[in-house]
Amino acid sequence: MGENGHLPPKSNIKRWLVTTNHKDIGVLYLITSMFFLVMAGILALLIRAQMWAPGATVLDPGGYYQVATSHGFLMVFWFLSPFAFGFANYVVPLQIGADDLAFPRLNAMSYWLYLFSGVLFGISFFQGATFMGGWTMYAPLNAPAFIPNYGHVGSFAAILALVMFTGSVTIGSVNFLTTIYRMRAEGLRMRDIPLFSMSILLTVWMMLFAFAALLGALVILSSDHLLHTSYFADVDGNPSSGGSLLWTHLFWFFGHPEVYIVFFPALGAMAEIVQTFSGRRLVGRKWFVIAMALVAIQSFIVWMHHMFLTTINLPIKTIMMVTTIGISLPFDLMVFALIYTMIKGRVRWKTPFLFVLGALLIFIVGGITGVFLGAIVLDYSFRGTYWVVAHFHYVMASGAVALIGALYYWYPKITGKMYNEFLGKIHFVVAFVGFNLLYFPMFVVWETPRRMFEYSAGFTFWHRVASVGAVLFAASFVIMIYNLFMSLYSDRVVDDSPWAYTGSTEWAVPSPPPTENFPGTPSFTSGSLRFLEGPEATDGGVEGEEATPDGGQVTAAADHGEPHPDHASWWPVFAGSSALLAGIGLSGLSPSMFVWPFLFALPAFVYFVGAVGARRDGFTVLHGAFLSASFLLLAVFIALFHVTQGIITGLESAPTYFWLALAGAVLGVYTLVRLGFESFYVPEPTSSAQWPFGEVENTKLGMWTFLGSDIILFGAFIGSYVFTRFEFGWQDWWHVAHEVGGLEHHPVWPGLLNTYILLASSFTVVLALVFARRGVGTTEIGPLSVENRKLTLGFIGTTFLGACLFLLNKGIEWVDLYFHQGWTFNADIMSSTFYLTTGLHAAHVVIGMMLMLFLMVRSYTGAYQGEDEARTIEYFGLYWHFVDIVWLFLFPLFYIL
Amino acid sequence: MMTPGSALLRHAAFAQVSRTPADVFDNLYLVFLVLGTLVGVVVISYTVYNAYKYRASDPDAEGRYDVEETPPEEDGDGVARPQVGEIPTGSGKGGGKKLFVSFTISAVIVLGLIVYAYSLFLYVEDTNQLYDGEDTEDPLEIQVVAEQFRFTYVYPDGTTTEELRIPKDRPILVNVTSQDVMHNFGIRELRVKADAIPNQYNEAWFQAEETGTYEAICYELCGVGHSSMRGEEVIVMEPEEFNDWYDSSEAEKAEVSG
Repeated sequence: MGENGHLPPKSNIKRWLVTTNHKDIGVLYLITSMFFLVMAGILALLIRAQMWAPGATVLDPGGYYQVATSHGFLMVFWFLSPFAFGFANYVVPLQIGADDLAFPRLNAMSYWLYLFSGVLFGISFFQGATFMGGWTMYAPLNAPAFIPNYGHVGSFAAILALVMFTGSVTIGSVNFLTTIYRMRAEGLRMRDIPLFSMSILLTVWMMLFAFAALLGALVILSSDHLLHTSYFADVDGNPSSGGSLLWTHLFWFFGHPEVYIVFFPALGAMAEIVQTFSGRRLVGRKWFVIAMALVAIQSFIVWMHHMFLTTINLPIKTIMMVTTIGISLPFDLMVFALIYTMIKGRVRWKTPFLFVLGALLIFIVGGITGVFLGAIVLDYSFRGTYWVVAHFHYVMASGAVALIGALYYWYPKITGKMYNEFLGKIHFVVAFVGFNLLYFPMFVVWETPRRMFEYSAGFTFWHRVASVGAVLFAASFVIMIYNLFMSLYSDRVVDDSPWAYTGSTEWAVPSPPPTENFPGTPSFTSGSLRFLEGPEATDGGVEGEEATPDGGQVTAAADHGEPHPDHASWWPVFAGSSALLAGIGLSGLSPSMFVWPFLFALPAFVYFVGAVGARRDGFTVLHGAFLSASFLLLAVFIALFHVTQGIITGLESAPTYFWLALAGAVLGVYTLVRLGFESFYVPEPTSSAQWPFGEVENTKLGMWTFLGSDIILFGAFIGSYVFTRFEFGWQDWWHVAHEVGGLEHHPVWPGLLNTYILLASSFTVVLALVFARRGVGTTEIGPLSVENRKLTLGFIGTTFLGACLFLLNKGIEWVDLYFHQGWTFNADIMSSTFYLTTGLHAAHVVIGMMLMLFLMVRSYTGAYQGEDEARTIEYFGLYWHFVDIVWLFLFPLFYIL
Repeated sequence: MMTPGSALLRHAAFAQVSRTPADVFDNLYLVFLVLGTLVGVVVISYTVYNAYKYRASDPDAEGRYDVEETPPEEDGDGVARPQVGEIPTGSGKGGGKKLFVSFTISAVIVLGLIVYAYSLFLYVEDTNQLYDGEDTEDPLEIQVVAEQFRFTYVYPDGTTTEELRIPKDRPILVNVTSQDVMHNFGIRELRVKADAIPNQYNEAWFQAEETGTYEAICYELCGVGHSSMRGEEVIVMEPEEFNDWYDSSEAEKAEVSG
């Protein structure tokens, strides 16, 4: 039991900082995303104020573009998806019969990373100027050479905020996938899960891959800012050969699935609400689900329809037109299914239904106007005009309107109180009228160029109508916030389900549900929901220590056989805040300084592993070695710092940003170490429906899905390299690097040697696993009899040594290339792609080494002895093999071809 | 890529009706607007009609729910209604056929529209045809170079101006590129638009049928000066007038532009 295993009451602020319970985190997501809705809404009102008359009447141009850009970022990233995931957190485990998500602490970490990424974005406004290149961040306008000097720090902070947000999303996707596949109530097949959960499942699949591509794009962009690589433009403002197109590909490969990512949860909520308020099950449910799955897959092959006016050729345009029209058809089916469900229903025009009906009507308009854009000839003229603005607001905001319906629908479940129905209806009427007044005029004056505050005087009337609509639409949310807040204190208490004809499991438990969700183990084996008495019979024995899915340890409660699941941890909020500190710091650091805070965090990491490990498992000689090594390492880094920067001059000139980054990095590694050593018990599901992953554990499935997203990340990098090289001229690549970039020689052997080293290290990590699995005992090796735990430690240590050799070899190679040959990051596009892609791989190696340090300390105290305990090493092995396999692709691409 | 099918489409009668991209756009936009409005009105009315027709207003006698639940499984309408704790299923057979009929109708409308639109797209996209006409002049090729925050026009003879002077009734083939960030070159009334991408050359053609002055607009956010990257700089002239201007010396051109 962790020291924070029990949750304080809800009135205590501490509860909201430490909670890992999915319902609490759902509430946190909902409230935080509403805050960002208000923020982005105010920015929207500023846009509409500027559009009241042609010309820069309210904001100066720079201000206007910051406002327009931030409005897009905040609505798409920090409001729409997180709002939907507030419901997903709260409702999905209830719907599928799970006690919580698979990885509760990671879930809390997702939330805190989300919140603090939003805070970082907010701070970027005050660092000169935030990013002003539009939410699509087209290149090379996104490169430092084209950002005004006063906006450098803020713009980079905004990009880093997006990187943080992407981290949050990736962790969340892994978590939801594992939960939905592995923790369903017995008897609930995949095809049976309620439609909202189904929509979330498909959403997180898309998120897993789409956001990895965005992360790739953002890391490349960050490198242009921080390392002055020249993917998009060099520091003098010369655009690279293919960078502009490359960005559009990377961005829209993410960007189009993103449209469905924000819309699918709304679609799932619409299906649930239409079913409940029509008192009918969904017509054509099977086809509805198939249609959604088709859209989810197809969403990855339509992205170039955002690029019809770029230089992509006719065959590609044709293919993209066909896939685009193809993807609209499943939506027709889904819309009709929703409409036909109302027939013969007992339709109640309650607030949630009104919002969903309104959203459906809005979506129909959005869909029809979207078909216009699918006709390329029309798209040519609509490109960059208010037609596009109106169309995607009719689509995206219809999702938002549906989710507002979901808020009214689940509000009684979450709070235990009923909202005020009259005010709810008023809210709907004002919102619906306001919405259409706001966006429909944009179709009328669609010839207004988008993102331009100059427009023809003849359009003024309609833009004023839109501005009036915007004020109405915004005002309607004041009614909602008042209603929902006051209703908390009303006496309209509800029991399990305030609505007739609800179906899914969340309505079978009290409102709000208790911490453990269900009165017994939920099961559908009898054909409908039953709660089985007490989980598995206790085996009575005290197990001492057993491994948990989180890789931590648990001491079974001494009085009962079954340990209580933990629900509280301080470390997720610390992880989020240290990322915020590091992010702020990084935004303001120069290329020569930025790496040092993170280098200095490495000895800190080694020290913490030794110190925290000694406190946890008792002091051993290995802990002592770690502590000494940390000081040695620190001395080495200080010496290096002195050589390159000069200690006195370096630290004197170090900006506040340096200290912030250092604080963030050190707090970050401390948090990770504490997370690793924390005992946090989460029961592995035993009696759940787990098809098709019944044979793997939660953590292994989590690792698999994480690696799936990592494949896309590397795919984005490798794809960028291949694309850039083709645009440049495949055969000329190295010749030009030699002749113009000053690269004298680029030997193959360091890469080849590293290939052998990595392959060997994959082998040793397998040996570590073999001996860990043998459990407590000794193994005879020739005349020697060695303890298995020492063999495990030895082989992890050998793997670690292999990684050291890999980095040493690479370091020698880089020093030669960078310093001796002068082939710097910004020498040419070849050096940019070479250093960054192999550098990303090297970063993966370093992370692997940090994990190994942790494993070494733990294995020495015998933590991984035994079939179950050894799994932690197996999970690490998966990661390590993946890193090795990636190198097998990078080596030929960057050394041979 | 001119597959036999697409070549057939291009020569189909309906593709030949229009001539300039502006005509093509106007025709197609009208067709889409009429059909889109029609479909929208029908679907929206039908949705609201059903939601209204099947409304239930009887309150729950016990006040537990928002409406009295009829007994499980079957009620008067022969419809199975959802119950808490059931394994989610669809509505069974009810409505399935209707769903597919309406899906098929919508698919036919959309596909029909798109095949029609695609034939026109091939016509607009095919710049080779501009050189085919026996009784028409070859297109005037002009390079458009975008930079923050203006366009520059380069004529075949090397003349470089900041005004786009063109003759009416002759196809204009623009080759658009950028010197710095991504822009988009467009002339609203003439229905021409192309992304201006650094190190890329993007072709588009158009034809003006009226003399006059038009506005060239940048349609891609390109920096703090983006909103002012538009100007009444496209001047459509009578062919003879244009030829006189084009044949005059650099100095005279500058004077005219003055």
